Amino acid sequence: MNKDRIEGIVALEHTLNADKYPLEEYGAVGRRVRRKDGYEKASGYAIYTADIQLPGMLWMRTLTCPYPHAKIKSMDTTKAEALLGVRGVLRYDDPELPERTDTSGHFGEQEPVLNRVGYWQGMPLGVAVAADSEEIANEALKLVEIEWGERPFNIDLEAALKVGAPLTNPESNPDSNLVPPMWHEFKIAHGDVVQGFKEADKTIEFGMRRDTDSWVGPERPCGVFRWNGEYPEVWVKHQRPHLAKRQLAAFFKVPVSQVTVRCPFQGGSFGGWSQMPLNMAPNYIAGILSKRTGKPVKWLFSRREDFCGAGMDNSRFHVKVGFKTDGSITAVAAQAKFSKEGWAHCDHFIENTKIRHVLQESQGAIANILPGHAFRCEQNMNAFCLTATFQHVADALGKDPTELALINDGHEGHAMADLVKEKRAHGFAGDRDSLKECLKAGKKAIEWDTKWHAPGKKKLPNGKMHGIGFAWSHEWGDSGGSGAIAIRIERDDGSARVMGIRCDNGVSAETAYCQIAADELGFRYEHVHYRPFDDAGFVPMTPDSSTNLAVNGWAVRNAARQVKQKILEIATTPRLTERSDMGYAPPFPDCKPEDLDIKDGVVYAKKDTSKRITMAELVRPSFFMGKMDVGATEPLFAYGWQNQQGAYEGPPGARPVFVRQVHFVEVEVDTETGQIEITKVVNANDVGKAINPDAVEGQQYGGSVMGVSRVRTEEMVYCPASGVILNGNLIDYKINTIVDSGPIDTIIVETGMGYGPYGSTGIGEDVATMVPFAFYGAVHNAIGKWVDLPATPDKILKALGKI
Amino acid sequence: MSTQSKYVCPYCATTFDAFDGLKAHVVDEHGTMPLPRPHGLINLSVNGQRYELQVEPNTTLYNLIHDQMGLTGVKMFCDRGACGSCTVIMDGRPVLSCMTLAIECDGKTIETAEGIAAAKHPLIETYVKHHAMQCGYCTPGFVVTAKALLDKNPDPTEEEIREALSGNLCRCGTYPQHPKAVAEAAKILQGG
Repeated sequence: MNKDRIEGIVALEHTLNADKYPLEEYGAVGRRVRRKDGYEKASGYAIYTADIQLPGMLWMRTLTCPYPHAKIKSMDTTKAEALLGVRGVLRYDDPELPERTDTSGHFGEQEPVLNRVGYWQGMPLGVAVAADSEEIANEALKLVEIEWGERPFNIDLEAALKVGAPLTNPESNPDSNLVPPMWHEFKIAHGDVVQGFKEADKTIEFGMRRDTDSWVGPERPCGVFRWNGEYPEVWVKHQRPHLAKRQLAAFFKVPVSQVTVRCPFQGGSFGGWSQMPLNMAPNYIAGILSKRTGKPVKWLFSRREDFCGAGMDNSRFHVKVGFKTDGSITAVAAQAKFSKEGWAHCDHFIENTKIRHVLQESQGAIANILPGHAFRCEQNMNAFCLTATFQHVADALGKDPTELALINDGHEGHAMADLVKEKRAHGFAGDRDSLKECLKAGKKAIEWDTKWHAPGKKKLPNGKMHGIGFAWSHEWGDSGGSGAIAIRIERDDGSARVMGIRCDNGVSAETAYCQIAADELGFRYEHVHYRPFDDAGFVPMTPDSSTNLAVNGWAVRNAARQVKQKILEIATTPRLTERSDMGYAPPFPDCKPEDLDIKDGVVYAKKDTSKRITMAELVRPSFFMGKMDVGATEPLFAYGWQNQQGAYEGPPGARPVFVRQVHFVEVEVDTETGQIEITKVVNANDVGKAINPDAVEGQQYGGSVMGVSRVRTEEMVYCPASGVILNGNLIDYKINTIVDSGPIDTIIVETGMGYGPYGSTGIGEDVATMVPFAFYGAVHNAIGKWVDLPATPDKILKALGKI
Repeated sequence: MSTQSKYVCPYCATTFDAFDGLKAHVVDEHGTMPLPRPHGLINLSVNGQRYELQVEPNTTLYNLIHDQMGLTGVKMFCDRGACGSCTVIMDGRPVLSCMTLAIECDGKTIETAEGIAAAKHPLIETYVKHHAMQCGYCTPGFVVTAKALLDKNPDPTEEEIREALSGNLCRCGTYPQHPKAVAEAAKILQGG
């Protein structure tokens, strides 16, 4: 093979340019196909970790802290241990427990497995019980006698940041309540904001706030641990089961190869960090109790305990922005305060605008509330800050916000119109303008030109106020990482099996892998299946639904191209022809591999298509008894591996993102009750190339439903006096139902300007993250007031001066 | 805990699969009074299969179906009757199995998603076709509720479908696809 051909097959590290070797024609890719997991899921046969039951299995329950900040002064477990049916009790002072260990699997944070101190109400701590049933385990926990030492607490992040505020976690942070720098710098400067403000015709300042929502994963955190003698076997609900495997091996001091980790389907996770810190400690405890009792141990959070999985969106902002009268923004200086954890809030100004001067400053507070984690996704602060800034500037200028977007679209301080050369340098068409294309389609669908109006000026015949909002950004869901996927051709019928561990996030990425494999191999889609490895040992990229395809798509493609090459070599190359039991004469003895191709699972000569052989005929049966004159081909197997740099990894500007996403939300606000009705959502997403259109649309409407829900009704409510969560259940914590979601239009734009295979890019993170802030603009457009999020009826009425 | 019982005659040790068989045997063979029916013994039909089971008073129908019978189509999402993921059809009505005690189900006929699939109801394929699922955890609950709707109302309007499914929560946000899947299944059932 020549260099180009090898390069076209083998994975490229750090994909920084457009796909140089797309297919000439597509069959399954881009087509609506029957999803591979559909029947399993619709019929109830799909197995999730919470469904796992093993013979003799015990149930494990862990105590949770009844106070927002308290220490166990003394604990007596005698009565619990004596209860009939209790088989094991593990206390915080057990000698087998290390003082601290890595419980996060992501950042390497060191925490006690069973803490003696609770830092938020609902935190698992103190003691765990394994019993014959869940009821007995719960009953045993009630028999544990504890003397609590209550401590001062602080559930408000701004109060926690004040000098002299009581310490909220003195064991881990003895000096202050500030979150230590971890993932990002708390101060980032691009350009010179002082200069930027000098260049401005006008400067405005504003603030906004968003309170904590919860991820509400349908399947609650859970796991099952069984020791098979010296071999741990663990079922996890985990977005990165391979990390769980590494941690379990380290904790129990055995080689990784001694551990089997199984990851069945997952009942909604929505982000790589959602459960990790609160997921691994129970697995460690279950492992210890399983070892001691000689029985499998299952743990499962209650729904109330699941409300530990909050979003990292609890944030307050103060933004100063300078702009010219034509709408060009010259400088942004934004300060944010967030409650552990948070993310940057000014990256999107750098990544998808021409704004040259940007200053980001942030402070994270450790408060006595549940720790936040990313879900669908970690860019919420970035998205809120970007969108609110544009909406406030548009409002100050009385300009159409969609025009403002076009004026400021760009990358790293350069206008999009000036980036034609860069687009071409990265292998893309220079004349495509993603934002313009998305806006054209999206505005038409929402009827923007006839519906947009000045804020608070349109009263509908039904007496409600009409509002329409707009948000836009780039797509960041093609981030870096590594993924490995293999393909094996089955004996007997020559069908293909795509293999990796199961980590079912997003909308059936496994279906998209099969579409790519089918087209690359020249097989029919129906003859390609994703069958997961039982053990977390062959690892596709699994942090985010969107990144699944941007990374794993390459891995599948590369594996498929290698397998196809092997098929064509076998079809043309004799093997041990002197051995009738071992060898065979090839079906195309006079051809070279490049003379052949495969279509619909049939290998044929390009110059004479009557010369053909099916894959089943080529690969032969799987098993021979004795000496049989049938010949056998060698096993056909290859793996693909992709290790790539993403948009927000590595040096800035290494991978400028040219694809854009736009979102519109239309609302009606009842000014008497404060209720908001969502009447329409429109998403126009440039996904470069839609490999599976059904999956793209799934992320569009799915993200829209969750997006409006999380800023309309969803909020974790704490009692200020006791620090206790007041609405930790799905009756009092309201997520959208089918009647709360209005019509959602999904528009797929394909400019081919993604860095994934065939010009694709991700979509899973954008919609649920951006739609909330289109909603923020729509509410303002309706009532002429800026309302903090979530925009619950009381806040609407307060903004209107009615309460 | 619930068990599929065997019944042993106290006089001659003959075993019976059903309690009624033992009762008849005691009267016929040993000429004595029939035994009183044990507390917690229930008869029910699940997906066309008859069961006679001894259940504890606190066993829920969810526990019975999911844990004892191994039918994983009932899912535990909310744990208190707020999400619809554990829905089964009982005597033609959708009920929440997590809020129903098994001991109350004596004589009942129950359908789960597995039964609906085994009967080749078109809802399964229309749900697959329209991607009316993402993670899939809540999906069987929707299918069961939709089946109960179509049994009662073979040609529902979109509004009626939405209303029927309004007690089922989906966190992934698949709601827009459900009316399409249910309406198409209704059409297929009507021969369209």
